[in-house]
Amino acid sequence: MFPPTLLVLMAGAVAASFFGLLDERVGSRSKEVFSSIILAVALYTLYNLYTTVDGGVVLFTVGVGPPLAACFEVDALSVFIAVCTVFLALLCTVYSARYMEHDTRLGEYYSLLLFMTAGMVGVAFAGDLFTLFVFWELMCISSYVLVAFRKERWAPVEAGFKYLIMSAIGATMILFGMAFLYGMTGTLNFARMSEVLSTVEPGIWGLMAFAALFVGFGIKAAVVPMHTWLPDAHPEAPSPISAMLSGMVIETGLYGFTRLLYVVFIPNSALMDGGLATFKVTVGFFAAITMTVANIMALLQKDIKRLLAYSSIAQMGYMLIGVAAATELGLRGCFLHVLNHSLMKGLAFLAAGAIIHQLGTRNLDEMKGVGRRMPVTMIVLTISVLGLGGVPGTAGFVSKFILFASAVGAGMPILTVLGVLNSAFSMAYYLPMLRTLATTPTGELKVREAPASMLVPMCVMAALIIFIGVYPAPAVRFAHMASQALTTNLSTYVEAIVKAMFG
Amino acid sequence: MLPTYVYLMSAFTLVFIGLYCVSAKRNMIRMLFGVEILLNAANLCFIAFSSRWLPYVDALGHAVVIMSIIIGGCVIAVGLTMVLNAYRHYKTLDVRELRRLRW
Repeated sequence: MFPPTLLVLMAGAVAASFFGLLDERVGSRSKEVFSSIILAVALYTLYNLYTTVDGGVVLFTVGVGPPLAACFEVDALSVFIAVCTVFLALLCTVYSARYMEHDTRLGEYYSLLLFMTAGMVGVAFAGDLFTLFVFWELMCISSYVLVAFRKERWAPVEAGFKYLIMSAIGATMILFGMAFLYGMTGTLNFARMSEVLSTVEPGIWGLMAFAALFVGFGIKAAVVPMHTWLPDAHPEAPSPISAMLSGMVIETGLYGFTRLLYVVFIPNSALMDGGLATFKVTVGFFAAITMTVANIMALLQKDIKRLLAYSSIAQMGYMLIGVAAATELGLRGCFLHVLNHSLMKGLAFLAAGAIIHQLGTRNLDEMKGVGRRMPVTMIVLTISVLGLGGVPGTAGFVSKFILFASAVGAGMPILTVLGVLNSAFSMAYYLPMLRTLATTPTGELKVREAPASMLVPMCVMAALIIFIGVYPAPAVRFAHMASQALTTNLSTYVEAIVKAMFG
Repeated sequence: MLPTYVYLMSAFTLVFIGLYCVSAKRNMIRMLFGVEILLNAANLCFIAFSSRWLPYVDALGHAVVIMSIIIGGCVIAVGLTMVLNAYRHYKTLDVRELRRLRW
């Protein structure tokens, strides 16, 4: 059977569209309430899964027996990614209730939001590439429609089309990588592939599969030469969707790549020329150019959401440092940064969305002094931006510290230097943004504070950012469990699956 | 039966055709054709590999291909909807007209 979280989310997504129809007839607001309840229930089922997993693996199979069945393998890392996703989706849904009030077709909106969440959770839970691909496309297709949701304006349609073309090419590249791995091993199950590959003769196919998968997941994760869809798609989407896209969707790409790299490629790195060093140098190189290019581009932006979109790409570069380090510490920093980034960037987009909602423009120059009229939004935006810059006392500092420390331990000090420099450099666009918002308004400025249902999710996130920054132990322990699933517990993972499924 | 490399060569040819189509064509619908060609190249790879391991044809490869054809159909449907909406805004299918967003 399906994992309970996925069942709840998918059933909820189908039902949400009916609630949308009901709301159109009666004029009630049942779909918002219903979606929030569904996500809260999903969070509760995840808590149950978390207690059952406890460092091991829980196996769900759908259909006839293995190897044909779709299978879900839930370990600590899957639960970690799913918790980040569902929590962010819950906050974004609560926020959407007021933000989207003037739009039509809201039944579809909440339905698609739930389907996108289900897709991300499915990718996190997938135990074989086939299941991963199906849920990957569920996530992708819902996000195309959500980016172009306000189709009555030209910009979202244009951004959506660009996103669709690039992301669809990425999906075909993933399919190619899958085909090569399937040709080498005769299976698509992660654990089984990892086992069979150790008996395969070295050749060019492994490297080709790696390259195809890196491009495929890299397009979604916006690694720099493949990032061009992101600065268009993220600003044009409705703000809660921008928060979801920046907060978790691009990290799902990173997750897929990391899972494959650590389960399939790194244990069998003897297959490739240069072994482990090939992976480390490749990923490290892309980490370096991703953060540098994105930070420079962010400096040139006048549009507040576009600036934040470029900053997302830069944060992706920091996360790749942890993947490149190929140590337990690096992965711990990477996953902790995924959690922190989902809170910080989610909050930044929601706060920017609140300002845009009240003011009606996205141009930073026209936002002079808005912070004086919207004090709560201004304070939470400041917290999130300081977190993104890595100021001590916020969540961003903890994860960046672990990431940069791990690069030294892995013998790549150049990445640490570049990371610290970039992190400092990024303040060059965060601080002017804050100053613009906080200066004395030039003329008469008629803005009021955002409504309470938008402020509550933002305040929750801001409180969590401060909490993780001041008392990081629980979050670090959670990330530690997730990273152990890919490093020290990997052999138990592989053995457990192979024994359970293939006898 | 033909050896596997024949199918793989055809698949790689299709990849180049598809990438050319996506990057060089100006008509939005032809760009979607390119995506579809790329997808079919990957499907061909799967079919070619599915008869490689076992004495009979492996059903897993075929299951993946059937699923990916369905998913490809969904992606193209969403793409065509966007083309339709873009046509309503711009009154053209030329993708060069869609350059109002900055890089």
